[in-house]
Amino acid sequence: MTTPATENIYLPKTAVLERVVSEIPEVKTFYWRFEDATEQQTFKHFRPGQFAQVSLFGVGEFPTSLPPSPTEDETFFTVRQVGSCTSALHQLNSGDRFAVRGPYGNGFPMEQYYGKNLVFVAGGIGLIPLRSCIVYALSNRDKYRHIQIFHGAKTPGELMYVPKLHEWEQTPGVECHLTVDRATDDWKGNVGVVGSLFKKQGIEIPVENTIAFVCGPPVMFRFVIKDLLAMGFEERNIVSTLERYMKCGVGKCGHCCIGVAYVCVDGPVFTYEQIRRLGEDI
Amino acid sequence: MKARILQRSDVLKVVDLLRQRGYEVIAPFRGRGRDTYFDTVSEHNRDQIQLHLPNPYYPPKRFVFPHIERMMKFQRANGEIHIEPTYEQPKRAIFGIRSCDLAGICHLDRFYLGREFCDVYYENHRRNLFLVNVVCSDPDQDIGEECFCVCTDTGPAARDYFDLQLMDLGGDEVMAVAGTPAGEDLFSDPIFRKAAAEHVDKRHALLDRLRKSFKKDTTSWFSATVRYISQSEILEKTWEEIGNRCLECGGCTYVCPACTCFTVSDRQVGPNEFERVRTWDACALSGFTRMAGGFNPRRSVHDRRNRRFFRKLAHYFIQRELSMACVGCGRCAAVCHGDIGMPRVVEMIRAATNEARTT
Repeated sequence: MTTPATENIYLPKTAVLERVVSEIPEVKTFYWRFEDATEQQTFKHFRPGQFAQVSLFGVGEFPTSLPPSPTEDETFFTVRQVGSCTSALHQLNSGDRFAVRGPYGNGFPMEQYYGKNLVFVAGGIGLIPLRSCIVYALSNRDKYRHIQIFHGAKTPGELMYVPKLHEWEQTPGVECHLTVDRATDDWKGNVGVVGSLFKKQGIEIPVENTIAFVCGPPVMFRFVIKDLLAMGFEERNIVSTLERYMKCGVGKCGHCCIGVAYVCVDGPVFTYEQIRRLGEDI
Repeated sequence: MKARILQRSDVLKVVDLLRQRGYEVIAPFRGRGRDTYFDTVSEHNRDQIQLHLPNPYYPPKRFVFPHIERMMKFQRANGEIHIEPTYEQPKRAIFGIRSCDLAGICHLDRFYLGREFCDVYYENHRRNLFLVNVVCSDPDQDIGEECFCVCTDTGPAARDYFDLQLMDLGGDEVMAVAGTPAGEDLFSDPIFRKAAAEHVDKRHALLDRLRKSFKKDTTSWFSATVRYISQSEILEKTWEEIGNRCLECGGCTYVCPACTCFTVSDRQVGPNEFERVRTWDACALSGFTRMAGGFNPRRSVHDRRNRRFFRKLAHYFIQRELSMACVGCGRCAAVCHGDIGMPRVVEMIRAATNEARTT
């Protein structure tokens, strides 16, 4: 058995789980580090919108967004418990080992958006991938113009990254608007779908020179796209990140291939213009 | 490329030469009836190797891309995890690989070794692989009902990509062509003698005859179908018609020399030991795109059929890999119970789209 010269793209590196924070029911944030410090340094050069493959020994591997911004110190994933791998991750405790490889995918071209207004529209856990871009944009605040964040959830208890949302609400030069489908007694904010915020008094979304980031469940996505197009947004100025079943993350296993694109290498970030041409359900 | 002549009775000595050089040699054998298969050559079966036979349904692709392959081992001890990749780097030769299957390997090379990332497992299988292509020169035995390499431009005689090519010229003569220095190296053995101009003429004449002995003739339809697929001109109802005939068995993928998809799974092999394996996967199967939580962007069968043929025939991918992901071997046509192998689908698409355009 000889060690080949070619790098093994499928080989994950062990990571240690440092702490777990509950976000909303069934969704937790896992703070972790690579055991190897050099690995950690290399990994940290990811771009907002990229993803990683997480290995749970004996269970399997799954792709997940990178919610931190490369400008932050900590590395973490926010994961909903939905299948066998994510359930196995949810059962881990601080100090447990798992493995990670990546970062993969194209990511959002944040440099191309310099000098533009940014509108973030996130439904539910759609805020996970967008969190990275928002934090990145705020740490490079002088590079961007107007920044607006719209986040909707089913109930107030299901709003994501609440401490961060409060921070954004307090940040000068940033608009952060929240809404819920069903209010509870203590909820004083807007009630309705995310799109209902767009028409609210006092909210003005600039269409010229603006990039709209949209992430959320399929129904929300369709309606928000409709609203944005009606406002006059060009399809190429609406960006999102696609989710697909993936095994390799490096363009070989074929599972995520739609139309002419391998979501893992050609995406996961696509403009709405590209998504429409790919011709498959979101 | 250099050509030599050897005696028909000396042809299996090529196998011996390779074995002497330390290669594990894989060659085609006959089972019962139509059954033919590739197997490792030993002293016991060496004389049963076949030069002419129907191409085995189970393609030699598995020697570069095994249908089950271990990728790594995980060992857990005292809370620590040890990950060890597992590599196999055989020194192997395939004797008697047909031109279509050779084109398949050429396609896999571009797919796995090229692009953004290189697949180390594939590379390991490929690195020391010696390919002895045998030209399908016996129309009765070599060329089957479903063969259509003349349409995909991959046969009956491969133009390159082999280390050595053998072509039975009839009588007692076999022509050997070296495609690489490794192939040429074999020519130092006295079984090879110089070829003359008459042998080259014989080869051309024989190939001309062979090209006319194919039963399928979808040559001109391929280009039309590639164009229709690339321009999304195919009606939904044509895909539905194709989808309705698909039994979702995945057989077409299993026998395809150019299919590349795989799935990865972990399994426990000891109390604190796991291994990660990859296995062939098929886009015909409904679980292929189903995500955790149950959402499946490609629910209907016809969407999945659309996927297979789009991936194989769209101009974008042909340009990317410099070849169609179809090599004209005809296996999918032979194994498909719904009769929607590649040649039939090409024909269905061409006919339906053409009709829709003219009415």
